[in-house]
Amino acid sequence: MHVRSLLYFIGEAFKSIARNGWMSIASIGVVSITLLILGSFMVLSYNVDLFTQDKKEQLQIVLFLDEAGNEETILELQKKLASHPRLEEARFVSKEEAMERLKAQLGDRAYLLEGIDSAEENPLRDRYQLRTKVPEDIPVVAKEIEKYPGVGYLDYGKGVVEPLFQLTGLVRWIGLAFMAGLAATAIFLIAHTIRLTVYIRRREIMIMKYVGATDWFIRWPFIFEGSILGIVGAIVPLFVIYYGYEAAAHWLQSNVYFITLIPTENIMEEIIKIIIPLGVVLGVLGSSISVRRFLKV
Amino acid sequence: MIEIYHLYKKYLKNELYALKDINLIIDRGEFVFVVGHSGSGKSTLLKLLLREILPTKGSIKIFGRDITRLKNREIPFLRRNIGMVFQDFRLLEDRNVFENVAFSLRVIGTSPREIRKRVPLTLELVGLKNKAFKRPHELSGGEQQRVCVARAIVNRPAMLLADEPTGNLDPATSMEIMTLFQDINIRGTTVIVATHAKDIVDHFQKRVVVLENNQLVSDQERGAYFNAR
Ligand SMILES: Nc1ncnc2c1ncn2[C@@H]1O[C@H](COP(=O)(O)OP(=O)(O)OP(=O)(O)O)[C@@H](O)[C@H]1O
Ligand SMILES: [Mg+2]
Repeated sequence: MHVRSLLYFIGEAFKSIARNGWMSIASIGVVSITLLILGSFMVLSYNVDLFTQDKKEQLQIVLFLDEAGNEETILELQKKLASHPRLEEARFVSKEEAMERLKAQLGDRAYLLEGIDSAEENPLRDRYQLRTKVPEDIPVVAKEIEKYPGVGYLDYGKGVVEPLFQLTGLVRWIGLAFMAGLAATAIFLIAHTIRLTVYIRRREIMIMKYVGATDWFIRWPFIFEGSILGIVGAIVPLFVIYYGYEAAAHWLQSNVYFITLIPTENIMEEIIKIIIPLGVVLGVLGSSISVRRFLKV
Repeated sequence: MIEIYHLYKKYLKNELYALKDINLIIDRGEFVFVVGHSGSGKSTLLKLLLREILPTKGSIKIFGRDITRLKNREIPFLRRNIGMVFQDFRLLEDRNVFENVAFSLRVIGTSPREIRKRVPLTLELVGLKNKAFKRPHELSGGEQQRVCVARAIVNRPAMLLADEPTGNLDPATSMEIMTLFQDINIRGTTVIVATHAKDIVDHFQKRVVVLENNQLVSDQERGAYFNAR
């Protein structure tokens, strides 16, 4: 595309945006709200992730071996665990090692274990500590592994982790559905604005066709108009998020000491990469719909 | 320059043909009037030449190419070689004369320098040199039609089509506009004018093609309006 044509298209796009006034503002507004919600959601989840990362990493399945199991079944089990696609790590902990750890945990109250800490008396069982690649997989993997031969029983916070993961999953889905609805509204409004422009410019378009403008030359200004609406609609929430985040971080740091937030620069860098392209996509989608339906070239 | 063979056009949903078995050859540099009663198919013929519509049957060769077979993306390039003048001028009210004429260059990607050179020359040719910065509504009908003509020829097309260009003008102004077409024709542009204006056709003594009942019934050099039958 020639620089001159590019300038022409952008110029025409801005003229239309100014001329369409309230429709342009409404389109930008809905794009902004959509992306503001998405952006806030992202900011929140990045920080929550950071906060819960260690907690989540502590989540694991402890597999106690069936005491009746012979060496063969244990070997077989070990192989299965090692090759399980969803498992990150399967670490064997013998009952002696477990006893040592227990002692270490009890510290100066380790005397409580006296008498049962000998090799013969040790009541603990041999076990595997299993870590899944994704913490959310724990319930599923546990259900599967439970049935393996040689398994005594599992301990993975059953009844606690499932609802937790279900809840976070649900929140995510509701958020997504809500944003999809808003995005559809944004696209619709942009399409409507562009349709208005096509209508206002019908005379110009007719003459352009008579004097031999190419179809794409006629279309581009409308695509640009949509994109500009989308980009402006994306920049507004970025500012809101920037200042909002600064303020929130400031408040949290002076009131709630133990929380560490992701620095503003880092988080902005992350969300700009998502929000701006999304704004453009909404704009281009909206204008393409109108160009396709109402611009007969 | 234009070769039309066995051209038929029936609009969808219509019972009757708008044009039936038209055969017509127009050479480079000719001046042709197309006359006929209302509904005889004059506008349809011009629309076919501009590839605004496709014929039902038959072929239209322009500059040696059958334009009925052009791909959609080739149509703009055909139109860059054909200027079109309308009865109702179709000027853009929100910009001045200069910009109305420059418009047809801008949208085909002509450089600003070329536009600054070409537009004043064209305005001079149509006699609007000192009205460049007036808006269309500040002009008389005849002047508005001159702007429309300037817009059509500023790109130096090989051919100029006009559909009842004097339909909205008084006789004296009509004569002026037709004289302008003649000037343009003398400079080498092929001109085809569809018109009802009997006096004008009789006065100019050009080639006259007569359409009647949607058929070509007469084609005479130095003809007059309806002198064919
Ligand atoms: N878009 C269209 N759809 C259907 N029929 C049409 C269309 N345009 C023209 N016609 C019909 O085709 C025939 C020829 O019309 P055309 O406009 O070519 O006549 P014309 O000679 O230009 O008439 P006028 O002198 O009134 O401008 C007429 O019967 C008209 O009703
Ligand atoms: Mg007509």
